[in-house]
Amino acid sequence: MRIRAYKLIVLVLALFVTPFVPKARADSTVSREYQVKAAFLYNFMNFVDWPEEKSSDSNEPIIVGIIGSDPFGGAFEPVKNKKVKGKNVVIRRFEGLKEQKESDENDQEIEAIRECHVLFICRSEEKKLKKTINLVKENNVLTVSDIEGFPEAGGIINFVMEDQKVRFEINVTAAKRAKVKIRSQLLRLAKRVVEEEPSDEAKS
Amino acid sequence: MSSRGNILTGKFIFVLVLLVSFGTGARLLAQQQDANKPADFFEMSIEELMEVQVVVSAARQAQKIEELSVPVSVITAEDIHYSGLTNIPELLQFTPGMDVLKIERYRFAAGVRGLHEFISDRTLVLINGRSAESPLFGGSEYYTLPILMEDIERIEVVRGPGGAAWGANALNGVINIITKKPEDVLGVFASTTMTEFGDSYTHLRWAEKQGKWSWRLSAGYEDLKNSDDAGAGEYVSNTTATVNTLMGFSSFTADDFMRNSRFDTEAQYDYSNRTRISFGTGYSHTEVGDREWGGYYPGGTGWYETVRSYTKLEHEFDNGNTGYLQWFGNYANSDVETLMKWNWMQNDIEGQLNFTAADVHNVTIGGNVRFIRLDTNTKMETSQQLNYIGSPFDEQFAGAFLIDRWTLSDRLTLEGQIRTDYYSETQTDWANRLTALYAMDKQKDHIFRLSFAKAFRTPFVSPRKVWTSRVPLPSPPYPAGLYAFNVRPSDDLENEEIYSLEAGYTAKLAKNLTLRADTYYQRFEKLIGYTKTYVGSIPYHKADNIDGADSWGAELELALQGKIGKLSAWYAYNDFQEDVSQQGVRAYLPAKHKVGLTGRLFLSDGWTFNTNYKYMSTNRTLGLDTTILDAGPSHHIDLGLAKQFAKGNGEFMIGVSDMLNKTNGPYFGLGQLSAHEVPGRMLFARLQLKF
Repeated sequence: MRIRAYKLIVLVLALFVTPFVPKARADSTVSREYQVKAAFLYNFMNFVDWPEEKSSDSNEPIIVGIIGSDPFGGAFEPVKNKKVKGKNVVIRRFEGLKEQKESDENDQEIEAIRECHVLFICRSEEKKLKKTINLVKENNVLTVSDIEGFPEAGGIINFVMEDQKVRFEINVTAAKRAKVKIRSQLLRLAKRVVEEEPSDEAKS
Repeated sequence: MSSRGNILTGKFIFVLVLLVSFGTGARLLAQQQDANKPADFFEMSIEELMEVQVVVSAARQAQKIEELSVPVSVITAEDIHYSGLTNIPELLQFTPGMDVLKIERYRFAAGVRGLHEFISDRTLVLINGRSAESPLFGGSEYYTLPILMEDIERIEVVRGPGGAAWGANALNGVINIITKKPEDVLGVFASTTMTEFGDSYTHLRWAEKQGKWSWRLSAGYEDLKNSDDAGAGEYVSNTTATVNTLMGFSSFTADDFMRNSRFDTEAQYDYSNRTRISFGTGYSHTEVGDREWGGYYPGGTGWYETVRSYTKLEHEFDNGNTGYLQWFGNYANSDVETLMKWNWMQNDIEGQLNFTAADVHNVTIGGNVRFIRLDTNTKMETSQQLNYIGSPFDEQFAGAFLIDRWTLSDRLTLEGQIRTDYYSETQTDWANRLTALYAMDKQKDHIFRLSFAKAFRTPFVSPRKVWTSRVPLPSPPYPAGLYAFNVRPSDDLENEEIYSLEAGYTAKLAKNLTLRADTYYQRFEKLIGYTKTYVGSIPYHKADNIDGADSWGAELELALQGKIGKLSAWYAYNDFQEDVSQQGVRAYLPAKHKVGLTGRLFLSDGWTFNTNYKYMSTNRTLGLDTTILDAGPSHHIDLGLAKQFAKGNGEFMIGVSDMLNKTNGPYFGLGQLSAHEVPGRMLFARLQLKF
């Protein structure tokens, strides 16, 4: 009786496995963390108002830039079919500043970064953090990261982990400087709201 | 139909009635996305995203807590912090379905849904997924683990068979202790707790991050005074006046002190965004006072040394697949006069790969090999020490597992887990878990679960090889060389087995308000107990697969959590009926009724109030001589009040644990002929600083 039961179980599991063709999808703790963070980024856009010059053309999409080694994988796939404030959302990926011609202000890549509405600065950019923030500080860009010390370096929203849950902190001074208005609903949910000018010790 | 058949039918009806009643409250709404797909998160509000918590103990990889194939309770770092408690078992008692008894000041019997003992070998204990059980006795001696309370990120308690994910010995549950990563605790941390009895618990930690490196160094010292010095310690005996005289019972004192030095280190190197290497070593040295076992009480001091080391390589491939390779080694060296000297070493190599196939299969495959050497030092220093025939022992384990989470439709997910384990000393066996998860609404606020599981427990060296004779009988009148307490080896033991049918329901009833209900029927087979035979008038005990048992019950938990605090209440009904009346199963049976309540309030100006309450109806076990030992019902309340200062960098806490009871027990363990009460109510104060 027991042998027959196991045969059945093995058969069921074989049916599970038979059609497998390994395909990309991350499901580690790390990648799930970034799935959640991607959804946070998507939500943030509903609680942020950009100045007129950044949002006047209703046909232009909202651009989310990811600079550095992208940890999100395919986490942004679902936003292809979604709209925020009536606009499409476009994801653009950029190499880190190290690979770019930093001194060339007219460089197309740098211009593309400055066109972003949201810029997520990946951990690979930790050493260039201040430089990356300065690159977009005059361009009404909502900077987001999960690098320790991001608000102190002049970044606007920083993800932190707490009890295996994603939390975020907001630097309202940096947001004001970028002329990005963060609604009070979002501020209320922040783990920490800081009014921090970039410190001299912050990462450069 | 036979009376036994009627009983079984009744239990199935019990399960079905609960199953239907849970389902009735659920709403049937529109289609939805699979929870594992990123799309789900994009349907959530920020508030909902902030509540996404991941759990790894159900299927060896991160999953949302409300969509697991087995019920899991999570004790968070916040729960640990505000409890003020300094040991893991006392924390566990506030978890639904956990049975915990304090046997001595440092020693607890803790089991998932009962079956708890000195050696609770039906519950598998892990630290970060790595075994923390003794390959000699099974189970885990929590007080010897090189782990400090404030270094724990969370404790996941799996209720029900977990063998398909974690292998041999996760018979009735799994306790996975997950530690904080260095990057989450950067800086210097110092904590010290003092009690009214003069106990202390001190913890120093330094964590740092430089470039791709991060590390954590922790050191701690714990000092527990004995029960006699803490206003308790009254000894009682459950044997005859004659045996009391022979073993010198009148001279026993409750010398259950403990002094423990612990060190724990962990380092991580982020080779790239997709590759991480982590490694660490923990060491603990424990001294304990002596105790009676099997009628023998030498009155000395025992010590335990434990070393735990690991190296783990984690990688995320370009195509999104993830996996790891890991080595861990556990080493223990002990000398306990009442029992024996022993040392053992485990080396384990493990690998795991997670990938997605055909879009709908989320698959984990992996396996491990483990090499164990045990030396029980059979050179007897006293005539009454335990002897293990054939020591030293070289043993091997090997296991392979496959887990597939199959998104069958937008609403229905099936999860299949299957695992086989080879053990060189007994037999190869199988474990499995098959689960259907059905979401009843688009938001996945209501999820229904149905599971079938099988797991097994492998008898380690101790029940198979032990040989001891204790309490010499006087000659005359007895012939020379006879003893009152005798245990003999049993080398033909088979695995204990469990078959489980489960149903569960999780619901998000309102913002921050969740309900979890789980019900189960379990059939145990070939449970190992002790049989007694007589040679003349002298009893000889021997381990044997004596018989099976039925177990059934339900657990309900309601939790409300928000920015101002937390309130959770639970009730557990856990019944257990052995096949033969007074059939000893080497453990206490579960308390039928258990109730728990946790309340936490974050007040203004940095004040926090915390309380934990637990009610447990009577626990019952059998001694080696089939005497019924009853622990009696108990109420347990802990209170704590904490105040932060210096912008949250300092905190002072005062509290009282077990407020209602001046003393507890005595609770008898397996093979004990006597036991003593332990202190209950205890005032404590704690100071913590962060730099």
